[in-house]
Amino acid sequence: MARVDPQTFIPLKTHWFHIMLSLAGGEQHGYGIMQEVLNRSTGKVRLWPATLYGSIKRLIEAELIEESDERPAPELDDARRRYYRLTPLGRRVLDAECERLQELVRTIRVKQRMVTQ
Amino acid sequence: MNFAWRIYQLLAKAFPHEFKLAYGPDVTQLGKDVLEDIAKRHGAAGLIRLIVDVAIRVPLEYLTEMRGDMRHGLRALRKSPGFAMVGIISMGLGIGLTTNVYSSKWALLFRDLPSVANAKQLVMPEKPVSYYYVEQYREQKSLFAGVAALQTGIPFNITFQGDVNAKPERVFGQLVSVDYFSVLGVQPQRGRVLNAALDRPGDSAVVVVSDRFWRNRLNSSPNAVGQTLRLNGQPATIVGITPKNFNGALSVNPAELFVPITAPAALAPELANDVLHQRNAKEFLAMMCMAPGVTIDSAEAALDAITRRLDEQDPSAPARMDKGRRITLLPAGTRVLIPRKLKPVLAGFFVALMGLVITLACANLANMLIARGANRRKELAIRLAVGASRFRLIRQMMSEGILLSLLGGVAGFALAYGLAVLNSHFTPPMTVPLESDCSLDWHAGVFAFGLALVCGIGFSLAPALQATKADLTPALKEGSMLRLRGYRHFGLRNLLMVAQVAGSLMLLLLTGFLVMGISKSSSIQTKFDPRTMYLLSIDPVRDGYAPERAQALLEKLSERLKTAGVVHSIALATQAPFATEDDDTHQLTAENSGEFSRAPQSMIEETVGAAYFATLSEPMLAGREFEERDQRSQADGSKTFSLPVVLNETAERRLFGNEKAIGKHVSDDKQSYEVVGVVRDLKNGIGISQSVIYLPLTPRDFARPPAGGITILARSDAGTDALSGIQNEIASIDLNLNIFNVETLSDYLDRSRSSTRFAVQTYGGIGVFGLVLAAIGLAGITAYGVAQRRKEIAIRTALGASRAQVLRLMLREGAALVSVGTVLGFLGAMAMAKILSALTSIFVEALRVGTDDPRLLVGAPVLLAAVTMLACYVPARRSTQVDPLNALREE
Repeated sequence: MARVDPQTFIPLKTHWFHIMLSLAGGEQHGYGIMQEVLNRSTGKVRLWPATLYGSIKRLIEAELIEESDERPAPELDDARRRYYRLTPLGRRVLDAECERLQELVRTIRVKQRMVTQ
Repeated sequence: MNFAWRIYQLLAKAFPHEFKLAYGPDVTQLGKDVLEDIAKRHGAAGLIRLIVDVAIRVPLEYLTEMRGDMRHGLRALRKSPGFAMVGIISMGLGIGLTTNVYSSKWALLFRDLPSVANAKQLVMPEKPVSYYYVEQYREQKSLFAGVAALQTGIPFNITFQGDVNAKPERVFGQLVSVDYFSVLGVQPQRGRVLNAALDRPGDSAVVVVSDRFWRNRLNSSPNAVGQTLRLNGQPATIVGITPKNFNGALSVNPAELFVPITAPAALAPELANDVLHQRNAKEFLAMMCMAPGVTIDSAEAALDAITRRLDEQDPSAPARMDKGRRITLLPAGTRVLIPRKLKPVLAGFFVALMGLVITLACANLANMLIARGANRRKELAIRLAVGASRFRLIRQMMSEGILLSLLGGVAGFALAYGLAVLNSHFTPPMTVPLESDCSLDWHAGVFAFGLALVCGIGFSLAPALQATKADLTPALKEGSMLRLRGYRHFGLRNLLMVAQVAGSLMLLLLTGFLVMGISKSSSIQTKFDPRTMYLLSIDPVRDGYAPERAQALLEKLSERLKTAGVVHSIALATQAPFATEDDDTHQLTAENSGEFSRAPQSMIEETVGAAYFATLSEPMLAGREFEERDQRSQADGSKTFSLPVVLNETAERRLFGNEKAIGKHVSDDKQSYEVVGVVRDLKNGIGISQSVIYLPLTPRDFARPPAGGITILARSDAGTDALSGIQNEIASIDLNLNIFNVETLSDYLDRSRSSTRFAVQTYGGIGVFGLVLAAIGLAGITAYGVAQRRKEIAIRTALGASRAQVLRLMLREGAALVSVGTVLGFLGAMAMAKILSALTSIFVEALRVGTDDPRLLVGAPVLLAAVTMLACYVPARRSTQVDPLNALREE
């Protein structure tokens, strides 16, 4: 299969970025993703259920994430829930997006310094 | 909170089937999990946000799915280009023709005039009235917000000030009362419009020009307002420019100049003789804007009473005993004025025509989709069996039809555009330029695509329903080889096929009737080479000549041309010979006609000069033709003096039956005429001979030439170019005389034929289109039937059936459908022709010629049957090529 260029997905949609970022640490289910985003942003970003699953569907179609067949340890597992993880392509896309954002932040810093000096 | 939860669940159930299968429980579960948290943190606002989230997501998911379907449909179409092409072409033809009819006819008949604010309130009496009446109508403040007087189709010879040597150009305009623009509700784009406060009788002449005039002749000059033009030799100042697209009321004959009737009489011969104050000069159209709340019916009734009173007060008018309405109001806010009673008839005719065309195209599409759906039965059954929702499959199948139909819409719009361009190349030979304006605008675009969408949805729904209705087990077992219901069953497909054949035949017959009727009018025969006759028009009065001098000039010209030997015969007339446009019709009654009824006969009136028939090489059948002395006879309106007239054969027969007309008298409501001669029927209207009365040119005609000026008919010997000679002679008399409409008779006839030919081709094209569609549809169905019944054919052949027997079996179904369709179509067409001719006189003549023509009545059904049977036969022949061994082994 031809390698897909991660740049075709850049810049990522905000929802996509948040979901993929939550999956960067490991597999996660929908509720988990939602909670993580909520905590990470100190309650500022909430992924509403329908939007969340709509985005997950599209991310799967774009082959950026996939459903995981591995389950966590039985005592932590919730049998009703499905787990998602990043695909290798998804990881590359996330890296590329992070790099872009860092670049952006650097530029902003330089600008700010120029203004304050 | 409970309530919010219930709504959330309901909405979550509305997601598309596939999404629901994959994520439905998750969405519900997650909602349940976060519900309390959200209610605690954000309260009611949070709950609302939660519900809105789902409510937005549901349609979004459907849209995504639709996009996928469209992509899928596009791929499927690309895989079967033949199917796609036939579909697109048939839809394209259907939509293109319909859009063409819509944009050229519908808009002309039913759309409001552009830039006219009061279009909905405008009404106009059918017949012209005198200016005195207009003034009286104006007093009816409770009925009318305003009443303007106008004369339309008035030619002006104009020269631009400062351009001394320029030859004048002939431009058409309207003479209007100063309240004209306020009655219509038209604002100027520059300068001002006419205005009762500023434009008073006796002031120096002013003129408002149209936007088109400003663009084309004044080069959009920003200084145009205030410039002076010379109209018929008299100066007039431009005071304003009308808004874009405004070409006056009654704009089939577009007006470029708007001259107030307060202008000096020298400016326009129409204003001579103090016409504004003559109670009998019924020369003006009254454009009325109804007051708010007044209906056209109440306005008509009130106006009728007023007119009746005014008529009775007039001592000079003959007493009238008639009981019927004297005034008929027409809605006047459209480009062409149509009587209210006729409107639904015309609308009905066009809707029927457009409906037939589009239904045929759609029936074809539906038929093709059904056949295709049946081929995909196995695939669909499998998908249904593994859990696809029927709704989803239907949508997917429909997307193909919609796609085809939309692509057809694009093709159709292109076709309509092409037709519009083609149409604009035809200039019918009218004296006053006629504007049919069938350029496409966004209305037509919206129309075409709306039509495509509606048809696509409507006609792919049924096939999709049928295809997914499958009883799973046999469909899975036999696949597309599902048992085909025979023609004895009343299936949707057979119904469509019968409808298609019937519809095609109706279309073919109806358009055939029109074609027959129209094409007869182009069969004009001249007794000489029409290339040797030249037509030229001049209008000396509008070049500044006094009426007496104008007549002297024309008579001198004839004399000089003949003596100079440039031409061998010459005659004058107020119209070209064999004119095709609607001339003035006249109601005439025979006097002392014995037992023959005295019912007035409607006749076409032509005004011709001395030696007119000799110039056309037409011998008089009886009596004499007009002479020079007739041109000097003055019609004084008294009953004692009779103007000499010539009748054509049809007129003689209509008025006097089998008696000879020479020496007898006929009369209209104005005066009495003496018949001095009879000629052959020179002109054919649409198909039937019409009564024509020829009046002599009189000084009145020289003083006030009609819109086409005075036409000179000059014949020279074959091979000599007489035209330059004639023009030199005219120039030697007066260099500045404007000569216009110069052409040979043969060019003129070609031009008039080309427009009828175009009409014939359009209607004929529509008829042929139906025929082709029916053939394609039937061929498709037969081919499909053959493919479906391979097994049956194989068994029959294996058991000893001959090829001919198999072929007959295959053809029988098609033949049954075609014959039922033919009978129904024939009856339908006859019924429609009857209805149309009963409702209106417009189509009567064309339809009568057509419905009497055995060639059409027998020919069209036979042609249709032959073509459709051929379309059946070609694919049916394939049945004989079925190899029984192979076919049976496949099972």
